[in-house]
Amino acid sequence: MPDIPPPGIPSPGIPPPGFPSPDISKPNTVVRVLRLLASLKLTLVLIIMLLIGILIIYYTRTRFVWALAIPFIGFAINLTATVLTNPVFRRQMALLVFHLALISIALLIAIDWLTYLKGQIELVEGETFSGQTLSEESGPLHRRKLNNLQLTNESFTINYIIADGQLRRADTSNQVEWVAPDGRSGRSIIGNQEPLLLGGYRFYTTNNKGFAPIFRWRLNGADTDKIGAVHLPSFPIQLLQQKNEWTPPGSTMPVWILLQIEEEIFFPDKPSNLRVPDKHTVVVRLNAPQGDNDQRWELKPGDSVRLPDGVLTYQELRKWMGYEVSYNFTLPWLLTASVLAVLSMGWHFWRKFAARPWNPNSGESKLGES
Amino acid sequence: MELQILWAALIMYVLAGSLSIISFVMQRKPERTILAFLVLGVVLHTTAIALRWERMGHGPYITMFEALSSGIWNLLLVYTLVYWRIPAIRATAAIVTPILFLMMGWMMLFPPSEVGHKPVVYHTIWLYIHIGFAKAFISTVFIAVGISGIILSRRTEYGEIRFAHLPNDSRLDDLSFRFMAVAMIFQTLMLITGAIWAQDAWGRYWDWDPLETWAFITWLLVIFSLHLRHTYKTAPRTGALLVISVFIMAFVVFFGVPFVSTDFHQGVGRS
Repeated sequence: MPDIPPPGIPSPGIPPPGFPSPDISKPNTVVRVLRLLASLKLTLVLIIMLLIGILIIYYTRTRFVWALAIPFIGFAINLTATVLTNPVFRRQMALLVFHLALISIALLIAIDWLTYLKGQIELVEGETFSGQTLSEESGPLHRRKLNNLQLTNESFTINYIIADGQLRRADTSNQVEWVAPDGRSGRSIIGNQEPLLLGGYRFYTTNNKGFAPIFRWRLNGADTDKIGAVHLPSFPIQLLQQKNEWTPPGSTMPVWILLQIEEEIFFPDKPSNLRVPDKHTVVVRLNAPQGDNDQRWELKPGDSVRLPDGVLTYQELRKWMGYEVSYNFTLPWLLTASVLAVLSMGWHFWRKFAARPWNPNSGESKLGES
Repeated sequence: MELQILWAALIMYVLAGSLSIISFVMQRKPERTILAFLVLGVVLHTTAIALRWERMGHGPYITMFEALSSGIWNLLLVYTLVYWRIPAIRATAAIVTPILFLMMGWMMLFPPSEVGHKPVVYHTIWLYIHIGFAKAFISTVFIAVGISGIILSRRTEYGEIRFAHLPNDSRLDDLSFRFMAVAMIFQTLMLITGAIWAQDAWGRYWDWDPLETWAFITWLLVIFSLHLRHTYKTAPRTGALLVISVFIMAFVVFFGVPFVSTDFHQGVGRS
């Protein structure tokens, strides 16, 4: 039986006599548009668009931002319109928190795209990084602060084991010295899953590492020497390709540098570590003009060779480490929003499902045997 | 020793599965016996996995043999618990056990003696949490598959007679929706913990590697199917087909990746 109000008290929603009746059957244009944008069918369309966007990115291997940006912007609008127009959110706090968390995730992902940085660097042992990356990509609103910090690769060790008949990489330990943008300085050990956090940037060691012959170069007519390192391809994955082309500073003639390792670095029957070989030779080859023979020199540490543009001295062999540097300041917020979304979703389903028993036949809970 | 215990566990599973199929055909209900076989099988299987873990020094997730063995284990652990607590799903044993038989046969194609290698990036607690949620996800979908199998088989006269004693399609559809909703929560947690692990291990929380991409597509498919069922109030048959398509997708992603990549995630084992 519906509740009937006592005489003289108007029913809820019915204006007393003499008051104009609001036209609740025709919502205004803004509300109509919002309701259209809040459509659950639109959500389904956006899910399909996101699916297509992912497949485009996956198969074209490009960072085609709009393929994901459009559906994510769509989700943000769809979810916001849903929260604004659907009265269920005023009754169900869990559902409201879930949708707000989803809106936050969409916004945080957008902010991340605008402000991220991702780059690669390589540092020889003893070398200091002061802002110059090998390659780098960043969002249009990223304020680059890499030049304000310093990172020195002091030394590193990488252990190797034999597993399943193959050489496998084990622990990486890299000692680095750093100076933060605010002037603080210190030493840290990074490697494996331990990055260095510096001025909002994260520096990770990578699988990319190898050897680098160090040369001293004096250009003809110059008063001072220049020191340079030639990074050879990653070791041991490119064990048989330990060569690289290099043009000494100020020279016009590139030379080929080849490292010949004359001892075993890794042992087939016991754990090893990546170390600079004591027995090795660096081969320097100069490509001669057409018709002439190439010139070739085998150098040991301390040996020099006269090239047409200057004198090249091989000093020593060191190791280099490849690093990945990234900047994503939204990370902790993204994690918080994601956890909040999943918790509120769990809370919502818990309440919804608890209202009706899981067991459709509650009278048949005993195990039958016939 | 652990291998003999594993074979004993598989025999228990086969007995439980065979009995459930026979009882389906004969219209009997030896539920207590089936549950006993399932519990015994899970206990033996747990022992075999624990012994191997102790001997190898790593969990059951390095080689394909281990991945399939632990996959069968978690499907049956969750299934046995639900079989015990929710009578409506007990009839699904005749539908889901053939899937397990196929997995067991597939597992036997791989040598149990293979040692495998545990990469450095696996030395983190997040790996166990990530894998735990992945297993909880697929196990929950597995139960929904059984329920969907009943809904679909009721389209035939034979299935309608055999499953006549069960709740109606609408109620079963609601039950499968619940399991899929729970599965979606587990899968979301799997993606979040995977991103945390990836950030630690490789310096990026997302990189569109094959497993990440296809796991995310599977998640979208789960979201899509739940949303579609909620928005259009789809018929039980449509819901059942959606559940089965999610399971096929998830199964291919979880167990198919080792065929295209030697590591579960790209770059894990690089030297």
